[in-house]
Amino acid sequence: MGEGYFRQKNGLLAVDVMAACGLLTPEQWLGLGRAAREKNVFRLKLTTRQTVAVLVPEENAAQLVTELAPLGLKVAPFGKVVRPVKACPGNADLCPRAIADALALGLLIQEKYVGQEVPKDFKIAVAGCARGCTDPQCADFGARAAGKERFDVFIGGRGSTAQPIHGVPIARKVTAGQVIGLLDFVLERYRVLAQPSERLCQTLARVGGEHFQPPAEMLAPAEEEEAAEFAAFLQN
Amino acid sequence: MATLKIEDIDLTALEARLNKLCLSCDRYSPECKESQCLIGFGRKVLRFAADKKTFDIPGASKLLPERDFKPYYPEQVAAAIAETCRQCRQCRDNHSPDCVIALVRSALESALLQENIDYPGSVFLYLARIKEQHPALAALVAQELQKPGSKDGKE
Repeated sequence: MGEGYFRQKNGLLAVDVMAACGLLTPEQWLGLGRAAREKNVFRLKLTTRQTVAVLVPEENAAQLVTELAPLGLKVAPFGKVVRPVKACPGNADLCPRAIADALALGLLIQEKYVGQEVPKDFKIAVAGCARGCTDPQCADFGARAAGKERFDVFIGGRGSTAQPIHGVPIARKVTAGQVIGLLDFVLERYRVLAQPSERLCQTLARVGGEHFQPPAEMLAPAEEEEAAEFAAFLQN
Repeated sequence: MATLKIEDIDLTALEARLNKLCLSCDRYSPECKESQCLIGFGRKVLRFAADKKTFDIPGASKLLPERDFKPYYPEQVAAAIAETCRQCRQCRDNHSPDCVIALVRSALESALLQENIDYPGSVFLYLARIKEQHPALAALVAQELQKPGSKDGKE
């Protein structure tokens, strides 16, 4: 598994530091800031994956990294792996627009999957409302809230390159637990079907979406079933 | 909304408007089947929401009794629609047609217009939309919205 160290044009090393889906405590910020000052860091750059790229002289990088673990931080994995998860601050305490606990789901996914090896980089995004601030349709695997504690799931998105691609839906209104099951399913299919270094969107285009269609038992019950209780109440 | 609770919605204000419509119905009888009546459907929605402490009833919008063609008084329906506007939490992109307020509004629209207006998740945009599609109803709703809301449905 590769790690997030990137040499810069000016000779500095960018160390990609990850936290809990971009959420840091004041102690973590202070600790990181103190370490950065001591190691002669030039700048700290917030990244699109909700990590922090620390621009440090190469000779100080190893010492900087030793300071991360006590802060609950670590160097992000890089390369052909599941990357740090992007999640919005959508939960019952934070973003008022949230209709589902996207942050908890993002943290759960990151905890379980980050760094797992896959044929090509695999990016995951979770959003707590239809606005989708974390761009879940531009991720290899995206979950976007679509009702109270329910998510729509999209796969095969790619936000970057000259030909960005929107993910396609594979499930509607599933629970957070079902999202995890679907992610296991998609990763398994991807590992089996992808050619070396093939991004999920390319695998989908080559083999067809039907190979990634989850079995019915992995999907939420039909709305008609969910409405059954109300339908019975209506008739009484 | 994750932070929205059913207690944040004044179900009794909505229910009072529906009760008023029900009591003035020429076809009212104690044997009425609420499942076959648009106003009865709305009342059932409100009772279910209160019992279950939920503001979203998945799939309920598909159970709207669309074969109820009874005539209703436009002023009373408009007053009830205005109450749904007062109670609307303006969820914008998060709007759900199975939200209890949306379900009541859909029933009321069907009662008067025999169709539903696609709700944009915002009262302002909704009023603009009905003004465009049904100016007479828009005028009545606007008139009602200028009055203070009332829990017993009386002006």
